[in-house]
Amino acid sequence: MNKIEENRGLEQVSCPVGLSLANLKAELRAIWECNIKEWKIELAYPINFTRQCIEPLIFLLPILVYGLVLLGGSRFSESLLRLVGTGDIVTYTFTGYIIMGFIGTAVWAMGFSIRKEQWYGTLESIYVTPTSRLSLVLGMALHSVVHQSLGTLFEVGVIYAVFGLALRIEGILPALAIFALMMFALGGFGIFISSLALIFKEGWIISEGFHSVLMILSPVAYPLTVLPTIAQQASTVFPTAPALVGMRSFLIENYTPEILGNVFLHLLVLDAAWIVFGILIFYLTDSYVRKSGTLGKY
Amino acid sequence: MMKKSSDASVFRANFFVVWTEVAKNMKFLMAYPVIFVFWTIFPFFWFLTFIFQGQAIVGGLQSSSFAEIAGTPDYIPFIILGAILNGYVLTSLYGVGESIRREAYQGTLDYLLSSPCNKAFILIGKAVSESISSTIYAVIQLVVCIVFFGIELTLGVIMPIILILILMILGLYGIALMLAAFSLQFKQAHDLAHTLEYVFYLFSPVRYPVQALPFWAQIVGKFLPLTYALIAVRSLVLLRQNFLAIYEQIFLLFVIDAVALFLGFYLFNWMEKRTKKSGSISQY
Amino acid sequence: MVYNKDNDVYSIQTINLTKVFKKRKHIGIFGFLKKKTEKETSGSGEDVTVALDHVNSEIRSGELFGLLGPNGAGKTTLVKCLSTILIPDEGTAIVNGFDIREQTSLVRASLGLVIGGERTLYWKLTARDNLMYFASLYKMPRREAKERVDELLAIMNLSDRADERLEDYSTGMRQKIAVARALLHDPPILLLDEPTLGLDPTFSRQIRSQIRELCKKEGRTILLATHYMKEADELCDRVAIINDGKIAAIDTPEGLKARVKETELVEVACHNPPHDTENYLRPLCPDVEIITLIRGDEAKGTPSRIKLIGGNAEKHVGTVVDALREKNAQITSVNISMPTLEDAFIKLTGAKLAEGGTT
Repeated sequence: MNKIEENRGLEQVSCPVGLSLANLKAELRAIWECNIKEWKIELAYPINFTRQCIEPLIFLLPILVYGLVLLGGSRFSESLLRLVGTGDIVTYTFTGYIIMGFIGTAVWAMGFSIRKEQWYGTLESIYVTPTSRLSLVLGMALHSVVHQSLGTLFEVGVIYAVFGLALRIEGILPALAIFALMMFALGGFGIFISSLALIFKEGWIISEGFHSVLMILSPVAYPLTVLPTIAQQASTVFPTAPALVGMRSFLIENYTPEILGNVFLHLLVLDAAWIVFGILIFYLTDSYVRKSGTLGKY
Repeated sequence: MMKKSSDASVFRANFFVVWTEVAKNMKFLMAYPVIFVFWTIFPFFWFLTFIFQGQAIVGGLQSSSFAEIAGTPDYIPFIILGAILNGYVLTSLYGVGESIRREAYQGTLDYLLSSPCNKAFILIGKAVSESISSTIYAVIQLVVCIVFFGIELTLGVIMPIILILILMILGLYGIALMLAAFSLQFKQAHDLAHTLEYVFYLFSPVRYPVQALPFWAQIVGKFLPLTYALIAVRSLVLLRQNFLAIYEQIFLLFVIDAVALFLGFYLFNWMEKRTKKSGSISQY
Repeated sequence: MVYNKDNDVYSIQTINLTKVFKKRKHIGIFGFLKKKTEKETSGSGEDVTVALDHVNSEIRSGELFGLLGPNGAGKTTLVKCLSTILIPDEGTAIVNGFDIREQTSLVRASLGLVIGGERTLYWKLTARDNLMYFASLYKMPRREAKERVDELLAIMNLSDRADERLEDYSTGMRQKIAVARALLHDPPILLLDEPTLGLDPTFSRQIRSQIRELCKKEGRTILLATHYMKEADELCDRVAIINDGKIAAIDTPEGLKARVKETELVEVACHNPPHDTENYLRPLCPDVEIITLIRGDEAKGTPSRIKLIGGNAEKHVGTVVDALREKNAQITSVNISMPTLEDAFIKLTGAKLAEGGTT
């Protein structure tokens, strides 16, 4: 029987591992550097970067124009007023659309993060380092959140200039608090998506599919009450529905949706559930992919 | 010493290139049922949000304000037809326009370009296979919409719709060829494809009648084959007009097709020669 | 570290390491319509490949250990298991005293990996940015990382191009950056999987020279997986010959060659060898152990080589030459030679190890 001496090995290992402050700092630094790396790569494609900055507006405008056309050019809807207490479709739609980019953070930036590294060809090189894979996913998420936040500020400016928005300024801070809670749950969801994208060859279908489903189940341009009952029930599983209801409560005057409930509690429960579930599935699929040998394949 | 080929044999050879490319791409599609299912089902998710939005804003399935511009109060079939035809735009831009970059990425571009055939026919083959798959998706989607969303389609409109689709697709081919031409030289083809997608998305009457747009935006829409195709199809299906009522749209589609195809072939051949000289043809 | 009963220190030890890949057959949309073969109806619809078959080996501390085998032999699978990218199905390995199944972070911190091939770095980033990023993934403090990156760029003679994007580098230069990346955190163990793949002779020679220096001067343990026989022969202290997931032999290059040393070896080089050469010559040389044809490249003018190993190979030279001439082969040379590592490989595995692929 051979004798195994770990101490000699430990002396030769220079990086922190395990549960220690040094290791936590190192993981946080890796998240930051991953974010910086993504920015550098993105800015190396200036046309693509510019396009991605204006893309949210491109997809928002038809939604607004369509709504205005249905009302003959007016932005006031009696039907919407009856449903949620406000009839201004522009403000209502835009406050919902703000989160669109952040849904993209979860399903694309996070969901596709590991696939992206496979596409770069660097996934195996990264997997061989002692940094956690979750840090890689979170680094991509950080990049996307910053990116989306800048885009959102741009959108606010343009839409306010073109259409005008009726928002309550004092509601911004509590709305941001709700937004932050939503992002934690979306983060857990994004980690879950990233695992699925790793298993299935056509991982983009997973991201696109979930993106489409979330778009329907989130009250972006319409209240939940217009959805079939089963869809309304399904929407409670995702953080976007309660978050939008909560954010609008603070941002829009007279907003009184039929379904409100305790948004903060609902979001806290979803945060815990999605984070735990996402990380669990992530490590299970990591193990599965490493066992099946499909890690480097794209 | 090589014999000079007759016109018939050249035609046969080019046809064979197109046929082989179609067969290859269709085999690829059949090998991935998930992709097939995805493109059939998920467009529904994309237009469902507009349907729900309409119901929330209008409070019902019809809008009289909408009828004043569109000629019909039924906004749901209006949206659905727009989404189904828009599917052709997506497959044309991304399927054909990016085909060159895909070949470069896979490492097969050098072999394609060193072959003696006219490369435009390879692209036509890709375009035809994309159109076949788009049509399969569109037919399935239309059947579902007839059953579940109440769209009424009489036998008399089928042939005119097929003609409109063919004309629209030819115009899209021309635009896609121009895109492919640019992608030979400029590496970021998908950005060009995305930009074109935005143009179609904003200025074609996919979600709203073209009259809803400002005047300058309507002018842009007049250069897009999708605009005339949608006006024509909606006139036949929703407004129950006859074929004579849409002769203007048919004529303008012919004009756009001729211009787009000519420009597309010309630009592609010109750019191919240029990039071969510069040596950047297979860089990725 | 692992110590055996004689107190030899091993950096890496594999214990019954086994990896089996199962691949489901792809049938497509209309696959259910296709008529199944008898094999398909009786089987599970899966292809099973045993990539590693109960591999046991030890690599000493400070040793440059070669893993020699053709494509598909199991070299990359072994490297991936040791680097924890792949989880084995049976057995385990101890790397720098840490178990690859239980202590994956410590294993990763103990080794640096170099994979051959084009895309293992970010082409849109500069060399410096690439190295700084990976330094952060190896949890190096920023200041230390900066110094180390500058040092490695100087060693690789790329300091003046450090701030250029990798897309503007040649393949050889990118591979140098890949080697630099593996050395960032100063690991005691390096795993090199075909590090000279696709490189021209100049860069290949530079990489090999660096590998030798890393081992001999810096005392690192290096596992070099390669299918280039010459590379293994030139660099390695010991070589493991691997084929079909099994290790056929482990010894020094000289030791392996000595296994065929007593055996006679004749090599006949010719153009246009006859169809099915081996079966054609076998009845003429019944006592020769191995008759094998290694095809050359007629288009490039490289002759094919027919090797006769064992038995009274030298006695049959005349017979073989006449038989080849009868079939219009053009003989270019006849050698009665000292065995090479390739010959040892052929004798030990029965397979051939042609340059750049399996035959």
